[in-house]
Amino acid sequence: MHSLKLLSLLIAKEWRELTASRAYWLLLVLIGPLVGNSFIAAVNLYAEASGIGGGAAALAQGLTPLDGILVPTFGAYELALTLLFPFVAIRLIAAEKESGAWKLALQLPTGLSLTIAAKMTALLAGWLLAWLPGVVAVVLWKSYGGHLYAPESWNLLLGHWLRMLLGSGVAMAAAALAESAASAAILTLSFTLGTWALDFIAAGRGGWPAEIAAYTPVAALRWFEQGLLRLNTVAVMAVITLLGFALTALWMQAGKKLSARLLHTLAAVVVAAAAIWLSSSARASWDVSENRRNSFPRADEQALRQIREPLRITINLAAEDPRLMDYERSILNKLRRVLPRVEAVYAAQSQTGLFEGAGAQDRYGEIWYEFAGRKVMNRSTTVPIVLEQLYEFTGIAPPAAVEEPAFPGYPLAVHPKSAKLIFYVLWPPVALLTWWFVRRKRR
Amino acid sequence: MDLLTVHGVSKQFGVRAVLHQVGFRVQQGEVLGLIGPNGAGKTTLFECLAGLSPDDGGKVGFRQQTLPAARRKEALFYLPDGIAPWAAQSVQWALGFFEKLYAGPIKAATLAAELKLEHLLASRIGSLSKGERKRLLLALGLLTPQPLLMLDEPFDGLDLRQTREVMALLRQHAEGGRTLMLSIHQLNDAARVCDRLVLLSEGCVVGEGSIDELRELAKLKDGGLEEIFLALT
Repeated sequence: MHSLKLLSLLIAKEWRELTASRAYWLLLVLIGPLVGNSFIAAVNLYAEASGIGGGAAALAQGLTPLDGILVPTFGAYELALTLLFPFVAIRLIAAEKESGAWKLALQLPTGLSLTIAAKMTALLAGWLLAWLPGVVAVVLWKSYGGHLYAPESWNLLLGHWLRMLLGSGVAMAAAALAESAASAAILTLSFTLGTWALDFIAAGRGGWPAEIAAYTPVAALRWFEQGLLRLNTVAVMAVITLLGFALTALWMQAGKKLSARLLHTLAAVVVAAAAIWLSSSARASWDVSENRRNSFPRADEQALRQIREPLRITINLAAEDPRLMDYERSILNKLRRVLPRVEAVYAAQSQTGLFEGAGAQDRYGEIWYEFAGRKVMNRSTTVPIVLEQLYEFTGIAPPAAVEEPAFPGYPLAVHPKSAKLIFYVLWPPVALLTWWFVRRKRR
Repeated sequence: MDLLTVHGVSKQFGVRAVLHQVGFRVQQGEVLGLIGPNGAGKTTLFECLAGLSPDDGGKVGFRQQTLPAARRKEALFYLPDGIAPWAAQSVQWALGFFEKLYAGPIKAATLAAELKLEHLLASRIGSLSKGERKRLLLALGLLTPQPLLMLDEPFDGLDLRQTREVMALLRQHAEGGRTLMLSIHQLNDAARVCDRLVLLSEGCVVGEGSIDELRELAKLKDGGLEEIFLALT
């Protein structure tokens, strides 16, 4: 039989299995109120900031639908991906292992890769259905007269989809490795907790832990939430996802000895680690945010691109110092996007900056720039000051001041009309009724 | 003519040897019974032959050619005992899935009638009794086209009448050219349905042949399979 026909048969089977799962329907029932709650809170907050209560409105430039509406609304999916979705993904593997169906599945004329591809396709379709509340929220926002900027919106959705794929890879690998669904759930949650711990450690220390933590699911998603599409983030997420599927295939394969499985697992992890290391060095990125929050002004970017030699920046700011966060967001990340080689050295020893060692205390707050054998120090974390210093230091003529069109901001003082009715009143019973109908139809 | 040849298959779980240099032949079109006491290694042998479980040595040949584990599913299909697959799906779906997947000459509707599954077609697999589930699994096995079908305890869970009907059906398929290998712990059933038998005891083959040949091997003048079994194991 043609492999495409086999695949379609398998996808239909996996779709039936997915929609027969209580975990999936529970996810569908809960996702509506979850997304709705986030959306309603976001719209209300946005309206308050826009001056709906009659008070002073925030500066219009600070009101972006990406930050104010999309990120919090779709943040509900991150919660669902962490706490609900793994159980749905695990079930697709674990149920077959526990019932013995996998012994039949392994003998079917379809290969293991087709079987896993079919499971993944069914999961994707299932997740697509779970996105209905998100789509409804976007439609509602537009119906209120809200603004959306397509590139940053699609970029955010891409981030969430990559996050979902990564979550699926991890959950399916856990289900393949573990003996039971319960053990697989523990493994998956351990992975999540591990990445949270890494985020926490990185936040407290900076430096190389922060470099690694930039690729945890939460941190990776943050780049998309900031309107930045980074090749290295996409590549690393793809590699981790593929590693998950590879481990699933390795541990679900028939007739392999434990030693062979362990050896192949080690090989897959080493290959993935190398691929992650290579991917992380990719510097290409695209600022797709409407307010170009991840970029210097265009004229400055053009001027800075003339710097070809490595720039080393030694930062004497502790990881928890708000100035460091400010510096990273408004200077360092932008420089990394423009300059081919930027090396950042985090020199502070303490977490807060209050208890630096003798000598180091005097240097605290200093930011040293090293270029072509010369060094210069500056304490500023403000863009114009740092750029002026850089131009002077590198001998590049600063660009002529060009007036760029300012981001207007999109204040919108509206109430989330009909949202409560749709998400809280209609969605759960509609999801439950669909579940009942699907079950009934199959009898 | 030999369809499948097994030479020196061994399997250990830790320090415990479950199969030790197992060897026998399966002839084209026969019903071969694998019998042995509990723990003899029957299921482990089936899983090794099917390529689902790795063996620690030995060779399996199919029509005089070595058949590596990864290609076993081309030659044989193994139906395990005690599985309850796809509990949320209906009997009709399961039969239809296998029928479409293999697109063999045997129709699911025919097997559903022969195995008295027609009234269960709309039932969820998870709601079936042990015997009903066994009949469904047998139907799935018989829908596969591989030349050799290995059934682990095919009569387990069936009542006397059903057992006889399934035996007749299996014989009918064997007469149609399909080779069957059955793992059976009920010796009376084995004697009734099998052309030849392989006796497995503590992971070793202690006898192979027809009942007459086994009787001779056991140096018994008369007696049934039970006596032979007791004499050889």
